[in-house]
Amino acid sequence: MRKGRRIIDLEIMAARIRRHVLEICRQRGGYAAQGVALADIAACLYFDELRPDNEGWYLDRFVLSNGHDAIMTYAALAESGHYTVEELRTYNADGTKVDQSPIEGQLGFEITAGSLGQGPSQAAGLAWGLRQQGMDQRVYCLFSDGELQEGNVWEGAMFAAHQKLDNLCFIVDNNDMQASGHAADVMGVEPVDEKFTAFGFRTRRISGTDMAELLDTFEEARNTKGKPFVMICDTRLWDGIDCLQKALPMAHYTAQSAVDWDKGIKEIEMTLTRLEAKRDE
Amino acid sequence: MLLKGAHGFDPAPFDKISYDLCQRRKDVVILSADLSKYCQVIRVKNELPEQHLDVGMAEQNLLAVAAGVARSGLIPVATCFACYITRRAYDQMMICMGTGSGPGTNREIGPTNIAIGFTPGIANPARIHHQAAEDLGMVRAIPNATAIDPMDSTDFRAALDAAVDQPGLTYIRGHRGDTPRLLDSREFSFEIGKTYPLRKGQGIGIIATGLGTQWALEASELLSEQEVEHSLLHVPTIKPVNQDEIVDFAFAHNQVVTVENHQIVTGLGSLVAEIISDVGSGPRVKRFGLPNRWAPGGTMPYIRAQLGLDAKTLANDIAECIR
Repeated sequence: MRKGRRIIDLEIMAARIRRHVLEICRQRGGYAAQGVALADIAACLYFDELRPDNEGWYLDRFVLSNGHDAIMTYAALAESGHYTVEELRTYNADGTKVDQSPIEGQLGFEITAGSLGQGPSQAAGLAWGLRQQGMDQRVYCLFSDGELQEGNVWEGAMFAAHQKLDNLCFIVDNNDMQASGHAADVMGVEPVDEKFTAFGFRTRRISGTDMAELLDTFEEARNTKGKPFVMICDTRLWDGIDCLQKALPMAHYTAQSAVDWDKGIKEIEMTLTRLEAKRDE
Repeated sequence: MLLKGAHGFDPAPFDKISYDLCQRRKDVVILSADLSKYCQVIRVKNELPEQHLDVGMAEQNLLAVAAGVARSGLIPVATCFACYITRRAYDQMMICMGTGSGPGTNREIGPTNIAIGFTPGIANPARIHHQAAEDLGMVRAIPNATAIDPMDSTDFRAALDAAVDQPGLTYIRGHRGDTPRLLDSREFSFEIGKTYPLRKGQGIGIIATGLGTQWALEASELLSEQEVEHSLLHVPTIKPVNQDEIVDFAFAHNQVVTVENHQIVTGLGSLVAEIISDVGSGPRVKRFGLPNRWAPGGTMPYIRAQLGLDAKTLANDIAECIR
């Protein structure tokens, strides 16, 4: 029962995050399709998995490797009150402090993530340094399947496994979409799970949008000892908003004019109403 | 003067420098990429293994892991050959290590990230691939970075000691193997950006850095024998440079020459020429160093002779500037 409650609360949170993504990107466009698809992972991370510290931030560390997925973090941190919606509406505007692909030190962002494939090694270095100092903080790193084409990712994976960094959890956004099309067409990266298993990871492949499965997977990651963990999430762009997924299945970058934002927001409002009714049953 | 103490040689300067630093600072981690032995990281690896981390033969990993270690609150000192740590992993140096601190970033003071490149320039006998003739120029181009080319083991030790307390990215060219001890450690105190007069005279003002300062000192002996008036300024910090000290030195002479173990394009020579040209109406600048063509390999004396950087040729060419 308690678990059921936790799931529905997080599903509502994910819907709210999706709504923030649309509200932010409707101003000037942005990486909306990724933000929408990652909303369940974001809800799970920011509202369940990352432990809070005593200063209004998080004890555990989240490293975003692919800068364009920053929209996911912004939307989640709008929900937690770390950013105001007004601030986030300047996303993608000249002179904004809310970089589309953020620079190290911005609230919510550990690294400068625009040069792809550099997150996993940095997260692994961070996990090693924390363990070395006897700290029990965990490190999570989100990166995309396109980044698997960068050699640095596998150097980091080799290092993490060699060092048995069980305080490290990789999250692969395996959405089969990169700048110029499907990853399978540009440069195939599969089988992603078998590759990480061969590198010495404990591996689990999930949809990335099923809250119960996500919670279970994060728990498995926490309970894994002696090796790093990777969850490969087979998300698809716009996951969670059917009308937009149908209209724009290949939207690596979504121009402001490309989407009927109102239609998407209407669908997400309906989802929210349905989830809230379910919660209140 | 700074050179008056007893001179000697350190056979493996970084072994002792890194060991002493790690003994003094338990928050320092020396990182290697399969070249610990060849960068002379021996005692730290064997006696302080918790302060040593080998990431394997993977230079992008070296610098990215180092940047991650920095964010855990420790101070990473990434070591490798100069060619690999800059050329092979330049983006990781710039983006992972170099964007977390200083003006234009999100923090005025961010984590400390140190990279040391050994056997720079023609200090490596294997031509082209192992010779980093452009590393200083590359690091000079990174905003907020610090780049240091120490002249001897005293300078090297002091530069690293300073770098540990410096936020952001610091790149130091390392010395390996028999390294002379020339500076008098009682008189010499290192400050980032400071320049050091080693010989004071008139006429020709020689500005040198790193191994180039050793070559310039050798040439200076010959110039003195030939009674050619000159001064010598050692500039270990290529960035951020003390422009006023360079200008004061340069404009006190009729002719400026630069000497460096680096391409004359983008290195010290370029730097000095840029500074003097910004002021205008200054002395002529003649740059000595590695040319913008592939240098030969082999022993250091052989390569120097091939490039006209042996003491005799260098002294003659410097003297020729005012004839």
